[in-house]
Amino acid sequence: MACLASHRSGESSNQRVLPTWWPSKRGPRVLSEKAAEPAVETQLAASHISKYFGGNKVLDDVSLNVRKGEVVSIIGPSGAGKSTFLRCINFLEVPYEGSVSLDTLTISVVNGKLRNSGKELAALRRKVGMVFQSFNLFPHLTAQRNITLPQERVLGRSRREAEQRALNLLRRVGLEAKAHSYPSQCSGGQQQRVAIARALALDPQVMLFDEPTSALDPEVGTEVLAVMRQLAEEGMTMLVVTHEMRFAQNVSDRVLVMVDGRIIEEGSPDIVLMAPQQERTRQFLKAVLRE
Amino acid sequence: MTSSVFSGWGQDLPELLRGLGVALQLTGLALVLGFPGGLLTALLVSRRNWLAKLVGLVIVEVGRGLPLLVLLYLVYQGLPQIHLSLTNFLSAVAAFAWSTAAYSSEMFRSSLNALPNGQREAALASGMGQVDTFRFVLLPQALRIAIPPLLNLAVQIFQATALAYVITVPEIMQHAYFLGTVSFLYLNVFLLAGVLYAAVTLPSSALIAVLERRLSRHTSV
Amino acid sequence: MWHIFTIIGPGAANTVLLTSISFAFGAVLAIPVTLATRSSFLLLRGVGRGLVEFVRSIPVLVWLFIVFFGLPQEGLSPSPLVAAIATLSVVSAVYLSEIYRGGIAAIDRGQWEASRALGFGRLDTGSRIVGPQVLRVVLPPVATYGIGLLKDSALASTIGVVELTYRANTETQLTGKGLTVDIIVGIIYLLIGLPLAVISRHVDSRLRAKFSLT
Repeated sequence: MACLASHRSGESSNQRVLPTWWPSKRGPRVLSEKAAEPAVETQLAASHISKYFGGNKVLDDVSLNVRKGEVVSIIGPSGAGKSTFLRCINFLEVPYEGSVSLDTLTISVVNGKLRNSGKELAALRRKVGMVFQSFNLFPHLTAQRNITLPQERVLGRSRREAEQRALNLLRRVGLEAKAHSYPSQCSGGQQQRVAIARALALDPQVMLFDEPTSALDPEVGTEVLAVMRQLAEEGMTMLVVTHEMRFAQNVSDRVLVMVDGRIIEEGSPDIVLMAPQQERTRQFLKAVLRE
Repeated sequence: MTSSVFSGWGQDLPELLRGLGVALQLTGLALVLGFPGGLLTALLVSRRNWLAKLVGLVIVEVGRGLPLLVLLYLVYQGLPQIHLSLTNFLSAVAAFAWSTAAYSSEMFRSSLNALPNGQREAALASGMGQVDTFRFVLLPQALRIAIPPLLNLAVQIFQATALAYVITVPEIMQHAYFLGTVSFLYLNVFLLAGVLYAAVTLPSSALIAVLERRLSRHTSV
Repeated sequence: MWHIFTIIGPGAANTVLLTSISFAFGAVLAIPVTLATRSSFLLLRGVGRGLVEFVRSIPVLVWLFIVFFGLPQEGLSPSPLVAAIATLSVVSAVYLSEIYRGGIAAIDRGQWEASRALGFGRLDTGSRIVGPQVLRVVLPPVATYGIGLLKDSALASTIGVVELTYRANTETQLTGKGLTVDIIVGIIYLLIGLPLAVISRHVDSRLRAKFSLT
């Protein structure tokens, strides 16, 4: 348990002020300020999501409200439904029933059928960025083109504007030099950072991360986690499915534990990870920390 | 024996070359119609709508299952039965285009299926529509995979144009046969015809192999 | 309308005969060709590959005409059926040899090495260890080629072999009902090819159960 002991509140070594040369949502923030954040109303709400695969109920009436700027980590054993739940939020998986609301937009499903038009679904997806475990960069396009294409086709930005923003984002993730490289010429960590830049290019309100570092070597994963941490500090609302306990501990505002399609425990990282209420959580953490 | 297998080649060549021109035209038209037709058919077959699927499957199974010769006869001799008649050249184009569409549709289908699901998901997750996703993300990658087999198909169609002889299209074999009836040196003229086919086929196949190696650089597969 | 079946039906017998005999010859002839193209003797390998490339670069119809119309010039006058069988046998030998080659290449080199390390000679390794595995791997593409050969047999009609397409043609010229005749003929070709596809899938799954690691 000692390895999780480095935590956030108050330690001066953890106080970080972001350089101001990249555009951030709320200006420079000190990490320790996060704990004193006043309660903000719900930005993203997933309600009563249920899903079946064949005869199995993989998601059992799962609900979640996320506040603006909140970072939520979802942990749990394999097959618990964490990724499935995440993918239901932007409807890459269509749940059997449930709904997802982002500000004023609500998409709902009844009896496996989507109740909204394709346009509304696209509108939701525009505001929700996703980063995949296997990066899913378009291999036939350069890094820059990967980032400009969605901007042009989805937001209708001009080529010039899209390229400018793409370069800014690549700079922000430290990969400006790779703008004209193809994904096959980039390492895994670099590809994932480009993927993050691609998702950010559409100015999403929420970012979903589906095990972003699971396909990377631990060393390489650190680069990606650093970028995610910066994003969090800038106030991005993030939902992260991860096995990286240190990230969950240090960067999240809230940790969810999912087992067998249900959220069995939920709370601040200090409590959930250091002093869990549920026996099942304790079991899981003991197995994870054995590594 | 005073004459060899090569005698008469000089005189026969110009006329056979005219036939080659027609054969290439025939091939070109068949491909221009057949490849897009094949892509459309591949999309038809993949739809959930049973009618679209049926139409697609008929195009594929008949186009692939019947001998090309029978397809030729079907279009040339069969259509007049329902009061539709095309010239022999157009009948040949129609039959070869059908065959091209049938075989190429399978190549398009399997190349689209070979792409990882994540590609489609990443595009959709950014809010891109189905059409944009297909046009900018899926099709370019699928083509990179499909182009070598498609080009090999093109070479096979070129070879198949020899069949158009039976409906008296003035391609290579038609000219060759006629020259044979005049000189009685059938072996010579048909060997020359064979050499002409090889002269187009062999370099094309070699180029395709080179292209295949270059294309496999930027794929996700 | 049904009498059409009785008129063109017998042509199907010749089609099947032509296809199976050519296929049988070709399947056997392909073996030495494959061995030649894989030989360590440069000359043999060059000749083998040259032959394969040359035969493949010329359409089957042209070969048929060369054999049937051309050979009499040099003294040989084969009957249409013999010419067709000879031509199709050689052509299928060449195409099948390419399939065999691919099949052999697909078998893990480790099989050869393990077998030789255990003391098996070249012949035994080839026939008892690697051979059966190659058989399983090549069966699907060979069956596909067989169906292709069935369709190529229609070309024999152009040199006068009285098979299915030939009879369809004569019938069309007699009755003018080209569409009906050709549709029926098409169906017959599809029907003939069907059992081949079914049998090959059946044999493939039996062999798969017996042999494979995958």
